[in-house]
Amino acid sequence: MVDRNTGIGGNPVEEVVIEAGEALRDRAKSYTPDTNWARMVDHFKREWQLYVMLAPTIIWFIVFLYKPMYGLQIAFKDYSIFRGVANSPWVGLEHFQVLFSNEQFIRAVWNTIKISALNLLFGFPAPIILALMFNEILHATYKKTAQTIVYLPHFISSVIIAGIVITAFAPTGGIVNIILGWFGMDSIYFLTRPEWFRPIFVGTGIWQEAGFGSIVFLAAIAGVNPSLYESAVVDGANRWQMMWKITIPSILPTILIMLIIRIGNIMEVSFELVILLYQPATYETADVVNTWIYRQGLQSGQYDLAAAAGLFNALVAFVLVMTANSLSRRFSQTSLW
Amino acid sequence: MAGVNLSGIIKRYGAAQVVHGIDLNVAEKEFVVLVGPSGCGKSTTLRMIAGLEEISEGDLEIDGRRMNRVAPKDRDVAMVFQNYALYPHLNVADNMAFGLRIRRMPKDEIATTIAETAEILGLTEYLQRRPADLSGGQRQRVAMGRAIVRHPKVFLFDEPLSNLDAKLRTQMRAEIKRLHNRLGVTSVYVTHDQVEAMTLADRIVVMNDGRIEQVGTPMELFNNPANTFVAGFLGSPPMNQMKAQLTETGARVGGSEINLARPINGHAGRDVIIGIRPEHVTLQPGDQTTALPISLDLVEPLGSEALLHARFAETEVVFKAETHGNIAHLQGVSEVHVPAPLVQIFDAETGRALSLEH
Ligand SMILES: Nc1ncnc2c1ncn2[C@@H]1O[C@H](COP(=O)(O)OP(=O)(O)OP(=O)(O)O)[C@@H](O)[C@H]1O
Ligand SMILES: [Mg+2]
Repeated sequence: MVDRNTGIGGNPVEEVVIEAGEALRDRAKSYTPDTNWARMVDHFKREWQLYVMLAPTIIWFIVFLYKPMYGLQIAFKDYSIFRGVANSPWVGLEHFQVLFSNEQFIRAVWNTIKISALNLLFGFPAPIILALMFNEILHATYKKTAQTIVYLPHFISSVIIAGIVITAFAPTGGIVNIILGWFGMDSIYFLTRPEWFRPIFVGTGIWQEAGFGSIVFLAAIAGVNPSLYESAVVDGANRWQMMWKITIPSILPTILIMLIIRIGNIMEVSFELVILLYQPATYETADVVNTWIYRQGLQSGQYDLAAAAGLFNALVAFVLVMTANSLSRRFSQTSLW
Repeated sequence: MAGVNLSGIIKRYGAAQVVHGIDLNVAEKEFVVLVGPSGCGKSTTLRMIAGLEEISEGDLEIDGRRMNRVAPKDRDVAMVFQNYALYPHLNVADNMAFGLRIRRMPKDEIATTIAETAEILGLTEYLQRRPADLSGGQRQRVAMGRAIVRHPKVFLFDEPLSNLDAKLRTQMRAEIKRLHNRLGVTSVYVTHDQVEAMTLADRIVVMNDGRIEQVGTPMELFNNPANTFVAGFLGSPPMNQMKAQLTETGARVGGSEINLARPINGHAGRDVIIGIRPEHVTLQPGDQTTALPISLDLVEPLGSEALLHARFAETEVVFKAETHGNIAHLQGVSEVHVPAPLVQIFDAETGRALSLEH
């Protein structure tokens, strides 16, 4: 820049003039390759392939996640299809008042929380335990076969999974009741019993996803430096000690990240599986927020009320994931962001 | 404390044999260095001693007890790994305590052992840090500390210094030597760095391709290499080797006749390889020296010495010369003088050292 100690220095008017001159010159310079703008152009010219590859993801986000947010406003409007989103009148928090005075909705919220809690309690450790067990299998062929078998249910459509469950728990001819019969017990029509819905649902979820979910943890275990184990062997550790003192601490960051993600999805109880397994007799324990939204919003056409319920759902999930993330960051220096 | 005894140790991976029968006696309190090029089976041999690899054939004894089928933890050895193998989730103190806790040593004993060892290694102020927050040299010390606190019969080191920069390596090398002098624990140390081998070892074991080429003290190996491999492996730069033919009075190389100052005993006419250490030549003629005409390529100053890269008898040769603070006088060098008693002679076919005794 200008050396203010020589020449004109001192006179305020002249300094203003000088600064104006600099500003002009800077603007002129902004078309030469030294400025941010030019650097950005250069950058795009050089790296455009990366942006082309990025584009589908961004478009997907815009079309399926950001654009629908516009429609979210109907949660605060008396929406009618004929008037459209923009022209429906505002009603403030009326839908939320309706929601929270609706016993079925409250019940659905509690059911969601209970099922999610059970899922977290039993479904979250399952893939970790499975991965740790796979890690202890030394026979390569046996290990691969076992892994393939537990991965399989993940690739089966929920409809078929539900079919299998319904058949297995059928009152007559279902394998579970046949086995109960061997012990002289009466057959139970499990799927009509509210008290059985949660165990069956959570169990099915574990059966379906635990194997596939273990892949992430197996990958984390594979990343542990093998000489840690060798060093422990020389120090005299047995396999059990190595699991507790090396493997689990080493994959703890992965476990925490997966836990944060899981907590973020707590309100998203597997919707299809509930729809496929529940029936009016078990609504009492089986009806979750998403199925309630589906029945109220889509089947009975109360889109605005359903949007309000969905927004509430998202808000809870948001708060949960933020909390989990900051707790994890505070206590274990691991966080998603 | 105890010796380690290997006899006829063989290692096979499936059909591939990678160690072909190692016989080695490591005496009590001895520091033995296994050295050799990459892939020669040093680590494999060490890991067989540790029990991390199964021994395919042969016998391993530690302290007079056969160890082939004994679990690593019952061999009473401690190993220091190349990448240190520190537990990233534990701090320095817990890393060092790991093996002791596994062995259920009482808490107060662990605390005193660790405090003592940390003192020896200068780690006292880092005890609460995680490995990620330490420098390479400090990590290396923690790895050593973890081995020391166990008070094992034998220390095993697998290239413990190879991840450090040159300066730190020199420093840690001296520390390991001091530590060994102080603790006197039988040690087997693997490296591919011949300087480390020379400086640390009571005895060096030079390995090549799964076999032992020679065992001896550093100076034995340096002065009397058993074959051309050992001659070329130890020393930096390595010994110059050139094809020659024995005559009645010496050896003919290219157009020159080198005085060997020893009786040829009827070997005249035999094809040999003669070896001349770069540091053995002088620029001035001396007792029993032969002048070799060289054509100088390049002078590399190293400070007090310089390397002369040259050609002699169609072979690339390297010699060392004193600079006396100046390399100008080295630029015009056209001959060097080789002291006869220091010339090594090897059989051209087998590469073995020739004594010419009979
Ligand atoms: N698990 C294995 N299966 C088959 N071959 C192996 C295995 N481990 C090592 N080898 C082979 O055994 C030979 C010796 O390996 P080793 O690790 O002992 O070499 P090294 O002397 O320690 O070399 P470096 O200096 O590179 O560490 C190599 O040729 C290697 O390819
Ligand atoms: Mg090695």
